[in-house]
Parts: sequence; structure tokens; C-alpha cells
Amino acid sequence: MIAGRGRQKIRPPRRGVHGEEIDFENTWAIIASAFREIHTKNASKLSYEELYRHAYRIVLKKKGEDLYRRVRDFEHEWLSNEVRGSIQALLTANLLASTQIIGGTTANERRTAGERFMKGLKQAWEDHQVCMAMLADVLMYMDRVYCTDHRRPSIYSTSMVLFRDDILSSVSSEEDSPPILVLLNHVILEQIRMERDGDVIEKALIKSCVYMLEALYDGQIETEGQRLYVTSFEEDFLNSSRDFYRAEAELMLRDSDAGAYCRHTRRRIYEEQDRCRSTLSDTTTPKIEKVVEDELIKNRIHELIEMESGVRFMIDNDRLEELSLIYDLNARVDNKKTELMRAIQKRVVEMGTDVNNAAIAASQVQSALSEGADKGKGAVQEKNLNQQTIAALKWVEDVLQLKDKFDEIWRESFGSDQPLQTALTRSFADFINASTFPRSSEYISLFIDENMKKGIKGKTENEIDLVLEKAIVLLRYVQDKDLFERYYKKHLCRRLLMQKSISNDVEKQMISRMKIELGNNFTMKLEAMFKDMTISEELTSGYKAHVAQLGDPDPKRIELGINVLTSMTWPLESMGSSGDNEEGKKLKCVFPPAIERIKKGFEKYYGEKHSGRTLTWLAAMGSADIKAVFPKVPQKDGSLKERRHELNVSTYGMVILLLFNDLPADQFLTFEEIQARTNIPKSDLIRNLQSLAVASKTRILMKDPMSKDISETDRFSFNEGFQGKFHRIKVGVVTSGNKVESDRERKETEKKNDDSRAFCIEAAVVRIMKQRKELSHQQLVAETLNQLAPQFKPDVSMIKKRVESLIEREYLERIEGASVDSYRYLA
Amino acid sequence: MAKHQTEYVTLVSSDGFEFKVTRSAACVAGAIKRMLDPSSNFKEAVENRCVFENINGVVLEKVCEYLYFNEKHRDSKDVPDPDIPPELCLELLMAADYLDV
Repeated sequence: MIAGRGRQKIRPPRRGVHGEEIDFENTWAIIASAFREIHTKNASKLSYEELYRHAYRIVLKKKGEDLYRRVRDFEHEWLSNEVRGSIQALLTANLLASTQIIGGTTANERRTAGERFMKGLKQAWEDHQVCMAMLADVLMYMDRVYCTDHRRPSIYSTSMVLFRDDILSSVSSEEDSPPILVLLNHVILEQIRMERDGDVIEKALIKSCVYMLEALYDGQIETEGQRLYVTSFEEDFLNSSRDFYRAEAELMLRDSDAGAYCRHTRRRIYEEQDRCRSTLSDTTTPKIEKVVEDELIKNRIHELIEMESGVRFMIDNDRLEELSLIYDLNARVDNKKTELMRAIQKRVVEMGTDVNNAAIAASQVQSALSEGADKGKGAVQEKNLNQQTIAALKWVEDVLQLKDKFDEIWRESFGSDQPLQTALTRSFADFINASTFPRSSEYISLFIDENMKKGIKGKTENEIDLVLEKAIVLLRYVQDKDLFERYYKKHLCRRLLMQKSISNDVEKQMISRMKIELGNNFTMKLEAMFKDMTISEELTSGYKAHVAQLGDPDPKRIELGINVLTSMTWPLESMGSSGDNEEGKKLKCVFPPAIERIKKGFEKYYGEKHSGRTLTWLAAMGSADIKAVFPKVPQKDGSLKERRHELNVSTYGMVILLLFNDLPADQFLTFEEIQARTNIPKSDLIRNLQSLAVASKTRILMKDPMSKDISETDRFSFNEGFQGKFHRIKVGVVTSGNKVESDRERKETEKKNDDSRAFCIEAAVVRIMKQRKELSHQQLVAETLNQLAPQFKPDVSMIKKRVESLIEREYLERIEGASVDSYRYLA
Repeated sequence: MAKHQTEYVTLVSSDGFEFKVTRSAACVAGAIKRMLDPSSNFKEAVENRCVFENINGVVLEKVCEYLYFNEKHRDSKDVPDPDIPPELCLELLMAADYLDV
């Protein structure tokens, strides 16, 4: 382009490229001597420009190749002759000894020797680096032109390689002593060991040696994995660390407790992280962490947790901090925390089983006692049941306490870890539903009963809430929800009818909570019970108004309060005494005429309102207030006084007492007479007579002979001399409260429960088959289990039986010739 | 060995012309930058004075011009070509190669 301009003349450079010839050897001599100066740190005397110009010329003269080689040779010689010697001078006997594990040298000596060695090496390395940087500057033109053109590595990296070969890989003068590099590794490792043992070491020094190793590469290729640090040092380091920690773990497990072990381990991990940062290289951090984790945690976690002072000990002694440490450590090596989870679960089940056993033991001790005592058997059994009730409440409290404890541990120590919570829940469910302990449903219901009757008295709303919440928490664990429902219904029934419940609001609150937790189905019947109560109230007041309207101001009028209960929703059978089935038919109580009249009146009133409904009178459940006048008889203090008392007795009690109304004062009735005239079931009669004639505070009847037990030949008469402290006297009838069932009762409940389960299972099976038409046995069982899971966990054999029964009744049929057992739905 | 970093450095041509240029401009040229590198501590760095045995005054003046020109337009785009007299072309090219501009 320039030539194209024609007119203008381009002046040739005054000194052409081919101008003056230069003498390569002379020039090299100049350069070489200058290099020597540089190596001896006398650069300030040298003119860069001059050296640069010489190198420039040589390269221009196409002598780059020679120059490159000369420089390399020069460096090689310099390193082998000058530097290596000074390094090897540092290889004292102490240092060599340490590699060959010969005793006799103190740690301190070895350490100083090691430090001196590293210092020398570091110095040599740094000098080399600086000098080579300067050389490379001077030879910049060569690097730029010759090396790029001929694809040679720059003179700087070449010289680094030289350093590796001539110094690090060089073998010291003595025979069979390892290369400098190996020695260096040993020295560093030893220093690290010293630090692990608590000594203070010169971290900066090691760090600079590590820098050196990081800057050098093993082969020609400069990749991350080829760094000398990685290829030569790191592995040694990791191996020796592994050995160290393995030994340490063994020692610690033998000598110290789990808490200390955890703390130590955590400290070790921090230390190693710190060491990587300050002494070694950050790239090693994850690797060494893994080594420590493997050796101190992963391979040991099982032993650690099982230690005498392990998880079990920590749980028992509320070592929250240590548990939290264990959790952290386990989380490090195992996302699922399997070991810890297993240990915790085991402990929960253990402690839960203890609680179960304690409850069982408590009840058994009592029954053993009652067997021992023959006399007054009824009373002892009564007491026994009370004891069992206490045991039941204690069980619930214990379980709740256990739950609180583990909740706290979970919250404080396990960082509210989700999988662990699931595990905990599962364990709780395990022991609460343990087959060896079938009473959990009953106990929980009793617990609620107790609280409804007494526990929540005088508590604030929040506290009540807390109690309800606790009950719900337990309920959540229970598998056989239907059994619970049965008990709850029974207990609720008693509370409602006998007005034992403190607050209707709280009852309703409880039910709505259960509704949230277990669904509509579960609470439907319970709600129906409440509804019946409300309707009954309306009926009572309605009837009262009705009677008033009739205008029959009978002075002897009897007020009637009535509860009309739907027989399907109320567990009435469990309320009645079991004795009345003995003769195979229900006995009807004969009411006195006054009562009978009211009864008829109400039946009429009710019949008008709801046609087609039958009322069955359950005298066993009612109570009556009687105003009684005791005639003037001489009192203990000699005064003659008429006494009026209001007696609150059971309906049966009232019926019995009314018999004596018509009786002359000196007459008596025998047991048989009473039974014949009232038709009260025998067991109920005995109980009522007991409270009327035996209990000292409410002895309204006299019994002949006076004894504690009621026998069929006893005779009863009105106790005219009865004295009461209060105007109003409550005649309690035994077993009116909610208590743990006796064994017989339990068997009955279970039987009833099984019966109702049978219906549930059949219903579920039919529902499933209706939908699926055909299904194999296995699938059917699985689906049935699934459907019934929220209510209870049915026995597989039970399902089988129900299916058989359904086949018999031609709801289903077996599919002939199917490879697996299968059923077909028959519409 | 005073390692004071002056703001200006002196560039000297083979025929004795001296150019005072700012250090930052001078260091645009790779060779000069290394020459003045305080860590290597060559004679030039100590004296803040670089003598170029193979560049004459005319060329060096043009080089200095270019150093400033380059520094000025370092970060901008669409820079106009510097004014280069054709008769100096070859010598300037050689100097540029030498100085690693």
C-alpha cells in the first residue's frame, strides 16, 4: 500500500536487520554474567535495556534456539551447583531420622531441623521465582518471538520445571535417602502432627512450601490434578490423617464419654478446616473433612451411640447440648441420620414399654391383692378398680411427659428435623399400640373423662386448651380409633346423663377438635348425643308447660326431668348392668303408682309429638330427689325434732324407698319381697341397698342382721332415727363414675368392638368390590386395610373371615380358575 | 537504591535526545514497563532513565507521541489512526517490535 503511493520515498533504516554481525558467544557471555549478577541480587548495576537489546539481537539473528538452550543449561547448572548444595546442607541427621523413624532425637530437635529445612527451601524457591521473573523480563523478546513461534514453553515455566527436577526430585548425597520432595512431605506431615498434638507450629512457613508445591506440576501438562501438591503431598496427608484419626477414635471411645467425644470431634473438624485455610490449601478442605468424618463419625457412630454414655444416657439425663452435637455429627455423614434415628426410636419404645409395663404392673398388683383378700371382696374390687383408674391416668400423664421430653429434645437438639419427627411419631404409635398393651384407647378416654369431670375446674381457657391438645396428641397415635370411640361414647354418656361434666363448652370443643383430627364420621354419633341432650331439655320444659296447662295443681306433684336418647347413638347397653341378661330377657322395673302415672302422662305427651316411636324406660340411669320427713325420735342429744332431708338417690333407690312409704314403722321387708315388688335386677338391687342400708352416712334403711354384705335373706326397715349433717343428702350408688373396666367388662367391650368391626370390614369390602367388580385377594385385603386405616387396623384373618361370610351370603363369588385367588362382585 | 516512583521518566534516544514522559504513558510499552519495574530493580528502574541504543531521536519522538496517543484512547472505540509519516514507517515498525508496543 505504501509502495503504491509512488512519489514518496521510504528511507531504509540506517542499520539494517542484516547490518552489523554480532558475535553470539560474546553476547551470551555478557548475558550469562549478567544473569549471575541477577542471581546474586545485584541487578541494580545492570542495564535492562542493554541485556534486552542483546537478547533481541540474538533472536533477530535466528539464534533463539541457541539462546533458549543456553539459558536452560545455565539455570540447570546454577540450581544443581549452587542451590542444591545449600539445601542439602540443611538435611541434618535429625531430619533424616524422622523419616526413618529412628528414636533418639527429641521432638524439639526434629522440629527445629524441619523448620530450618523448610525455611531454606522456601528461600531457595522464592529466590528462584524472583530471579526467573527478572530473567524472563530480560528475555521477553525471546519469549514473545521465539517461544511462541516454535511452541516452546516460556522460559519462566521451563525454569520452574528445572527447579522441580534439580532440587525437589534430587536425591541427597547419601545413599538410600529419599528425594527432597519426599522429605518435605514428611516434614510437613510431622509438623501437622505436632500441631494436632497441641504444639504451635509456623503455619506461614508451611503455607509457603505448600504454595510452592501448588505452583509446580507433576508432568508437562499443567492441570489442576497434576499439581505437585495434589500428586505428591495431598494423598500422603490424607492417609496419615486417616491413620491418626482412626487411632484417636479408638482411644477416645475407650477412654472418654460420648459427650466429650462429640465435642472433640467437632473441634477436630473445625481445626482441620482452619488448618486447610491457614496452613495448607483450601482445595483440601472437603477431602480432609471427609477423612475426619469417616474416621471419627461414620465408622464410629454406631459405637458412639451405643456407648454407655451414648444417646441413651443423654436422653435420660437431658443432655440436650450433647444430643445436638450427635445430631450435627450424624447429619454430616448421613442425611437421613439413620443411626441416631434408630437409637432414638429404640429408646422411645423402651421408655414407652416401661410406662406400659408400669401401668400393667400397677393393675396387676392390685388384682393380686384383691385375690388375697377374701373378705369384703366387692369393696376391694371396687378399690382395685379405682387403683386401676389411677394407674390409667398415670399412664396417660407418663406418656405425655415422655412426649414432652422428646419434643423438647427434638426442638432443642435436632433443629426440628422433619424425618426425625416422623420417626418419633412412629415410635410413639408403636408402643402405644403395642399388642402387649391393649388398653391405650380406654386410658386416653379415661384421661379426658377425668379432666372433664375434675381436672379443668378452675383452669383458664388456655390451660384447658392445652389439656385438650394433649389428649388429641395422644389420640393421634392410637391406631384403633373405633375402640377409642366406643370408650369415649360410654364415658361421655355417663358424663352427660349424670351431669358430671364441668362445662358443656369444653365438651363441645373437644368434639370439634376430634372432628378436625379424625373427620366427620368419627364425631357424628358424639354430636348426636349432644343433640339428644338439647332436645331432651326442650321436651322436659315442654312437658312441664303441658302439665301446667292441664291445670292439675296436685300438691304432691312430681317433677319429671327426662332424657330421651336415640338408642343407636348411645351406648346404652354398656350403661346397664350386665346382670339383667341372666334370665335371657329384660326385666321391667315396676314403678310405684305415683311414678307410673307420670310415666304414662309423658308417654302420651311424647306420642302426640312423635308418632311411631317407642320409649323404653331405663330406670338404671336416672336419679330422683325425694323430700323425706323423719319423725320425731329421741336423738343422741335427747331432743325431739322433726328432720327434713332432701335425698338425692338413683331411680331404683327411689323406687325402693317409696315401698317403705306405705309400710308401718315397725314392719320390715325382706330382700326377696323388695325384689318381687320392684322387679329391679338383682345386682342393681344389691348395690342400691348397699348404699341405702350399709353406707354409714346414708343409712336410711335398717338392715337385719347388720353386716356389710347384702344377702337374700336380709330384712330391711325404715331407719327413723336417721341423722344427716346436711339438709341435702346425696346417696351415691357404687360404680357410677367412669373407671377402668374390669377384665370381664373389657372382654365384652372387645367382643362388641370386634362385632362392629366385622360390620365395618364387610361394608368396606362391599364398597370396594362394588367399584372394582373383580379383584384378587391380595389387592382386596390391601385396599380394605387402606380404607379402614383411619378407624382401626383390622386383622387380616378377620378380613378373610368376613370375605368368606360375604361369599356365603352371595355378595361375592370366587372366580374359578384364576391364577391367584380372586373375587367377583355379585350385584 | 531509593525506590521512589517519579511521575515522569526520561527516555533517551541513541543520538542523545531526551524525552520526559509520564510513567503511565511510558509503561504502555511492554519493554519499558519491565525496564522500570521496581521489583526487578534494574539500573533503569533506579535512575528512572531509559537509554535506547537502537532508536534515534526522530523515531523516539514519534514513539512518545504514540504512547500518549495510545494512553489517551485506551478505553475509547473508533479511534482515528495516528498521523504517521510514511518515511518513518519501517523504522517505527521495528521500534514497535522492539519495545513491544
